[in-house]
Amino acid sequence: MATEERKKRRTLLLRPSSKTQTVSVWGTNGVNLRHTQSVTGWSNRKSFSPAGISRLLEKSTVQTPKQAARVFDDDDNEVTPLPLYQTDPRAVQGRASMFFVDEISAETASDSSTAMESFTAGFSRSVFGSSRISSQSAIESCNEEIEDTFSKQDMPVYFPDLQGRRETVTRQLTEEILKEVIDIYIAETDSISLLDIFSMLVSVDADDAEVILTRNNQCADVCRNIMDSDKCMDRSVQTLNEAVKNKHVQSDSCVMLDTASNVTSWDMFDTRCCPEQNYKVHIPEPEQTNYPEPLMDSNRGTEKNMSVSSTASTASVPSSLKEIVMFGSSFNAAPDLKLLMQSVKFQRCLMVMERSILGNTFQSKLATYRWLPVLEDPDIAVQPVTVDRIDDTQSCRSPTLERLWAFSCEFSRGRSVSSMTWNKKNSDLLAVGYGESDSTTQRPGLVCCWSLKNPTWPDHVLVCDSAVMSLDFSVSSPWQLAVGLQNGSIIIYNIQMDNRSQVFTSSACLNRHLGPVWQLRWTQQGLSLTGEEMAEALFSVSADGRISKWAVINNGLDCTDVMKLKRNHNMKKNNKGQMTENVLSAMVSGLCVDFHPLDSSLYLVGTEEGLIHKCSCSNSQQFLETFRKHFGPVSHIAWSPFSPDMFLSCSSDWTIQLWKQDYHKPVLSFTSIQKAVCDIKWSPKWATVFGAVNEGQLEIWNLNASILDPVAVQPAPFGVKMTSLLFAKKTDCVMVGDSHGQVTVYQLENLSVGDRCQVKVLEELVLSATSK
Amino acid sequence: MLTHSRIQGQKGVQGIIIVNSEGIPIKTTLDNSSTVQYAGLIHQLVMKARSTVRDIDPQNDLTFMRVRSKKNEIMIAPDKDYFLIVIQNPSD
Repeated sequence: MATEERKKRRTLLLRPSSKTQTVSVWGTNGVNLRHTQSVTGWSNRKSFSPAGISRLLEKSTVQTPKQAARVFDDDDNEVTPLPLYQTDPRAVQGRASMFFVDEISAETASDSSTAMESFTAGFSRSVFGSSRISSQSAIESCNEEIEDTFSKQDMPVYFPDLQGRRETVTRQLTEEILKEVIDIYIAETDSISLLDIFSMLVSVDADDAEVILTRNNQCADVCRNIMDSDKCMDRSVQTLNEAVKNKHVQSDSCVMLDTASNVTSWDMFDTRCCPEQNYKVHIPEPEQTNYPEPLMDSNRGTEKNMSVSSTASTASVPSSLKEIVMFGSSFNAAPDLKLLMQSVKFQRCLMVMERSILGNTFQSKLATYRWLPVLEDPDIAVQPVTVDRIDDTQSCRSPTLERLWAFSCEFSRGRSVSSMTWNKKNSDLLAVGYGESDSTTQRPGLVCCWSLKNPTWPDHVLVCDSAVMSLDFSVSSPWQLAVGLQNGSIIIYNIQMDNRSQVFTSSACLNRHLGPVWQLRWTQQGLSLTGEEMAEALFSVSADGRISKWAVINNGLDCTDVMKLKRNHNMKKNNKGQMTENVLSAMVSGLCVDFHPLDSSLYLVGTEEGLIHKCSCSNSQQFLETFRKHFGPVSHIAWSPFSPDMFLSCSSDWTIQLWKQDYHKPVLSFTSIQKAVCDIKWSPKWATVFGAVNEGQLEIWNLNASILDPVAVQPAPFGVKMTSLLFAKKTDCVMVGDSHGQVTVYQLENLSVGDRCQVKVLEELVLSATSK
Repeated sequence: MLTHSRIQGQKGVQGIIIVNSEGIPIKTTLDNSSTVQYAGLIHQLVMKARSTVRDIDPQNDLTFMRVRSKKNEIMIAPDKDYFLIVIQNPSD
């Protein structure tokens, strides 16, 4: 029946009736049957096949109460044209529904798409939105695909629901409904292709090429003639202009903020590397952020108009700073400051600053020490002293000692310097031990580690139980400092910056020394076949006559006696046969020890008796050799660093002796003034130069120049006794410690040692001396 | 003696200022107006210097800065949380 309808033109009868649905179907023959839904009713559409539509027409049941003209065609089908625009009270409820725009309706846009109807949200995917239903029904001309899609929709199922829902939905439009926030989802449907004819390429040589060619030509002809033929007719269609609806929407105003920022390469690097850190900083303390922030941040509690950015933002306003200072300092300054002052980083920073300041103050002195050019202060007026200076340089060729500076601080004032040693690794670090050797005052001893960069305050200060007698830095672990005390204990300190603690002490050891530890030495001991296994051992010599080798066992020190210094029964004196037993003690206190620079198992010991014993580590019972010359206690022995057979010894008998290893008699002896010589050291640079300190003065001897007198003499300041001496390794300076706790640095000048090799000079001297 | 007080007692030191990360001086030995001036100006200078150093190599950072002028020397030790500024006249 539908086909019949399609094929003939029907006359339309106008009958007044209520507004009902009409069905319109488009077909190629131009019959339009329109099917639209009215608001109130919904026909039961069973299917969208053409046949179905006709059935629908008959079944249109719901009638609107409105009285209007109705048109019927010949078959009594109602074909009343519906108004193009239908008000849709359900449109307001459209917010709750899901609109689905589909392609089909786009196709039939010329259709009366104005009747917008909306569905409740019950449909998951409804191909029909609004009143596109009308257009959907008009898709008989479309291919089967669409019908398939429609049939897939299960539409019959929904209908009863729809109907019911429709009725319930037409409720009063309340405020709440209007204010509801509705989610509207707009989605694209799948593309539906209506016509897809592939173009085919046929080779010219193919079999049916001619046929195709003729067909193509025919087609081209038709197209050309299309304008003239009756088959084609121009037709125009007017698109409907829908009524324009104005809609106003109000929303909360957006707060606008101006933000400016400089982007630098390091800023990006920071963000990439530590983004977590930035966040952590930001959240708890919004005042302390370090990355760019808007200038005007109204959320801040305190008035801080200055930007906190770490970028070089030129927007920071200096003028506002003045107002802020007063605020800031009163609010957050106190806790800031305390935290800051206690932090380790700040302390280090202060230390660096102090050194820089002192660098300025002591610039000339330190520069002289290090052989750097002394910076002339450009602002001080140049004094006219040039004339005198020229004279000075011409005449003054003899070596002099120039005083550079003195290490002293309030701790060390008044104490006597007992020993000094350089750090083996850091040549700027000097450890000085303070302690009186006479046991009248039992003050706790002190060790100060001075750095050359700061002559006014020591880097480390260690307080010991009793007076410090000797010090030595370890070679293999340069932070370990061994300290020998007057009460016989040996303590090894760790002087690293972070961990200044006592490492080991020998006070718990059973074998500890009972008398003052006069000297300590770290020496590389061990198999030196390959030169690799060099274990380091600490040797100590003490007043109880023992030379012990210490090792760290069970967190404490333990020692093994390497040598016991037995009192030497001087056979010469008692060659009459009377052996005088020494009732005081069988042991002689050793005062100094020095290890051979090349053979570390060989060492020399100086005793209180004035004897020097040569011993070996392998033989702990006997001395290898004994050197006798001194009458008084030997205070110091030093092997020559250049000539391995020679050594110097000094003693309280006012003399300094130069010995050669195999000779029982000293090769040379030196005396200058009648004072006990406390310390003697070879110069690390020149083989013929050595320095000696006696109580009254510092002497520098140059054997090349004179063997009778020292070449340079520096008298001690009045009332001060010089007690120890140390040569600086790479420069021409000597350090002298005195009884007032000062360590003075002198520079040797004009020490001309000649052009010849020093060692040869020394050896020649010795030869000439021994041959006498 | 605290390092801080020792620095103050060094020869030629005119003043010490500690400035926190926001440019607000939290401790100073100079008078108020000078402190404020130094803090503000030096803060900018250090930011610029630091930015320069880091632009060349982002892994690098500024550790110390000395500005020697005719009359004195300003030494600045910058850090993430603070600046330490010391003004010294070495020829005093």
